[in-house]
Amino acid sequence: MACLSTSGRVVCGSRRQQTHKLLYQLLGSRPGYTAPSAATGLFSPPKVQQQAMRLCHGLSFSMGKDYPDLLQSPHKCSQSLQYSQSSKANLRQHSSVHTQQPAGPVREFQIDPYIILDDDLKYFYDDVRYLLKSGTSQPELDTIASYYFDGQGKALRPMVTMLMAKAINYHLNNESHQLVHKQRQIALFSEMVHSASLVHDDVIDQSDFRRGKPSVNALWNHKKVTMAGDYILSIASIMIARLRSDDVTIVLSQILTDLVQGEFMQLGSRETENERFAHYLTKTYRKTASLIANALKATAVIAQADDNVAEVAFQYGRNIGLAFQLVDDMLDFVSSTEQMGKPTAADLKLGLATAPVLFACEKYPELNPMVMRRFSEPGDVERAFELVHKSHGLEQTRFLAKKHCNEAIRLAQELTESPYQKGLQVVADLVINRMK
Amino acid sequence: MAMYRASGLRIMQQLRRRIPAELQPLQVAKAAPALQTFTSQRWTSTTTTSGKHASPQVTTPPPRHDWNRAVSEAERIVGYPTSFLSLRWLLSDEIANVALHLRKLVGSAHPLMKTAKHLLYNGKNTMQAWGLIVLLVSKAAGHAPSVPDVEQDKSAGVLHSQRALAEVTEMIRISHLVHNSVVNLQSSTQAGQDVDTYDDMSFGNKIGLLTGDYLLGHSSAELANLRNQEVVELISSAVRDFSESEFIGERDEQNNPLPYKPGTFQRPSLSVGVDFNEHDVMMPMPIAQVLGNPEEEWECRNILNAGSLLGKSCQASLKLAGQSEELQRHAYRFGKHLALAWQACLDAEPFQCPQLPLDVTFSLVSAPVLFHLEHDPGMYSQLEAGKQSVDNIDYDKIHKAILAGPALAKTKELQRKHTAAALAVLQHFPATDARQALENIILAMQDL
Repeated sequence: MACLSTSGRVVCGSRRQQTHKLLYQLLGSRPGYTAPSAATGLFSPPKVQQQAMRLCHGLSFSMGKDYPDLLQSPHKCSQSLQYSQSSKANLRQHSSVHTQQPAGPVREFQIDPYIILDDDLKYFYDDVRYLLKSGTSQPELDTIASYYFDGQGKALRPMVTMLMAKAINYHLNNESHQLVHKQRQIALFSEMVHSASLVHDDVIDQSDFRRGKPSVNALWNHKKVTMAGDYILSIASIMIARLRSDDVTIVLSQILTDLVQGEFMQLGSRETENERFAHYLTKTYRKTASLIANALKATAVIAQADDNVAEVAFQYGRNIGLAFQLVDDMLDFVSSTEQMGKPTAADLKLGLATAPVLFACEKYPELNPMVMRRFSEPGDVERAFELVHKSHGLEQTRFLAKKHCNEAIRLAQELTESPYQKGLQVVADLVINRMK
Repeated sequence: MAMYRASGLRIMQQLRRRIPAELQPLQVAKAAPALQTFTSQRWTSTTTTSGKHASPQVTTPPPRHDWNRAVSEAERIVGYPTSFLSLRWLLSDEIANVALHLRKLVGSAHPLMKTAKHLLYNGKNTMQAWGLIVLLVSKAAGHAPSVPDVEQDKSAGVLHSQRALAEVTEMIRISHLVHNSVVNLQSSTQAGQDVDTYDDMSFGNKIGLLTGDYLLGHSSAELANLRNQEVVELISSAVRDFSESEFIGERDEQNNPLPYKPGTFQRPSLSVGVDFNEHDVMMPMPIAQVLGNPEEEWECRNILNAGSLLGKSCQASLKLAGQSEELQRHAYRFGKHLALAWQACLDAEPFQCPQLPLDVTFSLVSAPVLFHLEHDPGMYSQLEAGKQSVDNIDYDKIHKAILAGPALAKTKELQRKHTAAALAVLQHFPATDARQALENIILAMQDL
């Protein structure tokens, strides 16, 4: 709590006050509160607690007590769910109306990250496609590899990467075209690795739709799809090697090992109830947050920022990544198929217990056996879906995501104030309020 | 495609080294027969020879036909076969996980099981670890005096970074093989028929895909730690070549390659073969230039499929050692020709006996088939049966036809050509025990 109020460069008093009011509301409500049994279930074993501590590194309150406390309070931060948006265009507009929600810190003028990065993002997908085309003489390989670079994605990863890059350059007072170009290559890398993982995921999950169109495995030979995933990776690696920075390559290679380890973790989820949440958070870090965190760190490394700044970039990315995935897992229960471009309750159907289910287990222990059998029996998916909606699982998930967003905002404020630095804070709002 | 059966053997060997000597016979008896002959030979050779570089025994060529001995001599020259790849591999969490999951697939028809079997048991006709070749080339070339002492493995005469690179080479090769065993579940011919088979196949795909990705991820981490971006670039391009190789030409539903219909392309007029652009690794192999010429097409396919990784790894290894560009290019050519010679040898193998053994098939883009199509374009009509699945082809009939024609002789000629080229390139390296070992391996291979 203290860290949130003492973080430097608070722009205007009113925000400080408002933030404080909010925080008291959130954190100070139950002094001397002892963790209830459900919370004990989640966090009391020391190993799990440690892991949770590691994951939530950078938060100032003590984990054992306050974190479950936080998770417990079904705080009313879900008003923004009422906002309806269904397209990227709306999403962008939305970034300028966020003052309507009291939960977000107030900023004195509004910034749309997609607009201030227009120069960097405009030809982004063209550049990826060009790169992929230039690496092969086989048209079909090129077609499969470029399939998801159609410009229909949110481009969240490259957008955040470029924001952080420019915020850091401003912070270091070190802005050259050459540097920005290199950082943009890192942004390309982040999106390419993400796509490669989508392509492989499609083969693994056998899903038929993604982003509102048939997925690659529905259209092409699975062997070729697998190879196309490897191809995207190899081209991305060549591109990064050409930056000729040993440290950047090392930071980015971490992403790949994390991604695979995350996938392996997803294969076996039969841990005891106590370990399940920590397992889920670690898996989420490896599968989603590591990519953003390490890409952002790489932009700091290539700008020759010191370790502290690199750590700010990394932690910001980690928190945004975790929040993003938490919201994603929540939306899997509330969005309609048209909005998400993929079927809903998809995770349940794949046998995966995400945060909303794990939270709901506290109230409805009958979910536990279903989690253990990966929702494999007839009726499990429907029953679990219903119970999640009956419980506070969705609000609690959202609240946890919110907490990570607030932490991301705090971290962004450690950088020198600039439009990009403000953009980083706006992104946190976008992540928590997105509808697709 | 078929150059893969090596590393499992090394796993066994390395495990054996940790077993007290008196228990050895017991262990050997339990192992597969092929393994038994191999390992006992190996043990006699290590006990009779003493000293590392000294002995004239090393420099005398081994008796002809003795592939195993050539390889075990070579392994001794570079210390451990390759580092501890296999053991580290076996002991990692993810692989332990994979092994657990693989058990569920035992008895199913998923090709991943076949790949795993090939990796674990191998007969005589295997290319021993590519990592070994990389290490031998590294040792044969030596390293620049500027390389600091701490980075050298003095007793083996290679750098630690070169050893790591040899591991990466192996991991990438295995990852490609494992990814290649993914089954196409769209197909109407295989799987998808009943729910159980479909589930098995789908699960096998998942494990295969993740295992391959795990290996790729780890190799990229290992590569990054070498702190040499030219090497990262080069090896990444070899990964690209592997994936590109699976897209060339027509394919059946399981992506098995089929030859082009004779007459599809004009025979190209160029007299020299094509290869990668030396100055830009991003440029793909210009394979379109050679289509229509069976030998060159075969060469291009197999460079992408094999020669690229071995060649580029040898080249990268010399980069790590600070060797000249020129020597690096020789290393690349050596690796490439060795891989091609080996592939020609493998391609010829099913045609060594007058009757095609039961359950043995051959690739429809192997050298004998391509050469025979040139000699007798009429055979293509028999291959058309394989458009849906190559299993529908009458292999016995084609086998007979090929044996009656000149294709086998041409394949042998092809192997000799690349063997000679590899030996010739080797002359650019100083005469050392490592170079001798490489020569022995090549000579032994010729007699397999």
